[in-house]
Amino acid sequence: MDPITRQPTLFNPAELVTEDKVHSAIYTSDEIFELEMERIFHRTWMYLGHHSEVPDAGDYQVRQIGRQSVIMVRGEDGQVRALMNRCRHRGMAVCEAEGGNTKFFRCWYHGWVYGSDGELLDVPKENSYDESFNKADFGLTEAPWSTDYRGFHFVSLADPGIDFDDYLGSAKQYIDPFLDASPLGEIDVLAGVHRTKYYGNWKFVGMDGYHPHFTHKSVLDMWNREGGENIGSTHRGDPFADDSGNLTRDMGNGHVMLDFFPGRSEHYDTYLEGLKSKPGGNEYVSAMEAAHGKEEAKRQLIWAGDPHAGIYPNMQLINIQIRIIRPISANETEVLMFPSLLKGVPDEINATRLRHHESFYGPAGTGAPDDAELFERNQIGLKSAVNPWLFLGRGLTRQYRDDNGDLVGLVSDEVTQRGQLNAWVKLMTQSS
Amino acid sequence: MDNLNNRVTQFLYHEADLMDEHRFDEWLALWSEELLYWVPCNADDIDPRRQVSLMYDNRAALEDRLARLKSPAAHSQIPRSRLRRVLSNIVVSQNTGGEIEATSNFILAESRHHRQNLFAGKSIHTLLDSPEGLRMAQKKVLLIDNDDYINNLSFIV
Repeated sequence: MDPITRQPTLFNPAELVTEDKVHSAIYTSDEIFELEMERIFHRTWMYLGHHSEVPDAGDYQVRQIGRQSVIMVRGEDGQVRALMNRCRHRGMAVCEAEGGNTKFFRCWYHGWVYGSDGELLDVPKENSYDESFNKADFGLTEAPWSTDYRGFHFVSLADPGIDFDDYLGSAKQYIDPFLDASPLGEIDVLAGVHRTKYYGNWKFVGMDGYHPHFTHKSVLDMWNREGGENIGSTHRGDPFADDSGNLTRDMGNGHVMLDFFPGRSEHYDTYLEGLKSKPGGNEYVSAMEAAHGKEEAKRQLIWAGDPHAGIYPNMQLINIQIRIIRPISANETEVLMFPSLLKGVPDEINATRLRHHESFYGPAGTGAPDDAELFERNQIGLKSAVNPWLFLGRGLTRQYRDDNGDLVGLVSDEVTQRGQLNAWVKLMTQSS
Repeated sequence: MDNLNNRVTQFLYHEADLMDEHRFDEWLALWSEELLYWVPCNADDIDPRRQVSLMYDNRAALEDRLARLKSPAAHSQIPRSRLRRVLSNIVVSQNTGGEIEATSNFILAESRHHRQNLFAGKSIHTLLDSPEGLRMAQKKVLLIDNDDYINNLSFIV
């Protein structure tokens, strides 16, 4: 049968993705969205938050994992835990604020009180229960799978079927540059958040090196205009040209990236000159060289703290931001963008990084709203089911495996989309 | 003072019209050479050196922003948002140095793609009285939903 015109079985996700095509139902179907919640968002490793967001005992942030509310909180013992935001008595959310500092989580329905480590401390009129009632059995439930890598905290709310280390695989090494742009190797995720939303499917977000020339034409023109400030540009030359040296990578398990390291290497001298001319620039470069040695400092400055990597399914590290993708329905997605601050650098460096971020990202940026606009147009187009297959074959015949085992293509190749969709099929068809 | 009140009020009404009608060049001409256009994010009082804003534009960044908005490829403003805002609660004060501060509230309705959105907030203008008339040196806009999810704020507030 002609794969372009045949109608797949809606409830067999494996039928909806081929080597180079995908059926539009995976972006529009409510039934598929329900299955994604169950099999992906509630059953694989999900990014929750960074430990620097909760520096002191009692600090907490509330996040959604799929449809479930989870509290990331630092206990009196200094340990960061992921607690389900649900009273063990009747299931009320025990934390109504989005973040802050507290000694207790109190359920205001019947007054049960929990400590910041989740322990049940007080039950009003406890003697009304019989002797078998033991407070120790009724602490807030911890996320059943919970771990971190360099402060990036991940949870899984059901058995993910794979160790966290194995899940990250070779993608782990690409998380490092995000932190190692700091001479101390540390970040503070305390700069607030851009909250954005668009009326389109969550799977549109990110890791597409083909779209900037068109989606962001207005910004590229702005960067190149005579006398322009060019504040948002961290690249030199055209980073999205196929002869730029830049690459797409599929590291497995849906983790993919736009690898700008090769292109930035070529423009390093110009970049370094620009960086040194900025307030705090010289001091920053010296601190990096003192901390890492000259060669490694150069490597990190080329990365510019920007892995441009997506850790499937809900986290991306792009420029200075940690991005969380939060699906609301098949047709609506919220995206949280947390700019990071580098520790151990002059204040001006962080201020400049924030200005770069603002100029492109967030709901008032010059770039992100255009992405949101095109995602909405995509959602409109995908509703036409007459000829429902999308073509994702770009670069299929020129991609190759590198020594790490990554699948690699040119920057505009659809290596990234294919990698994400392969993981999607794997997770969606995995039996519980 | 009554005269100043009146002048500032008329200035703010004029600025509102220019923003509603996307008359970017005329709006830019209302600014002094050195400028700060600031829309904080997450809260009203934040430290811009350590915390992210929705917009924190000096002249160069603002000129970039407006240049982009004029592009035929500024997709999030094609079609343009239809805007109309109402200003109220205007309070004008002048310090000894001659700087004028004006605070005002606004309600802004936006219509685009068959959706109507409502924005509201308070603006704090720092104005200079120049031979050419009043000029904005600083404008800080406190949106009541600067801590909430926003879809598209690619127009001028």
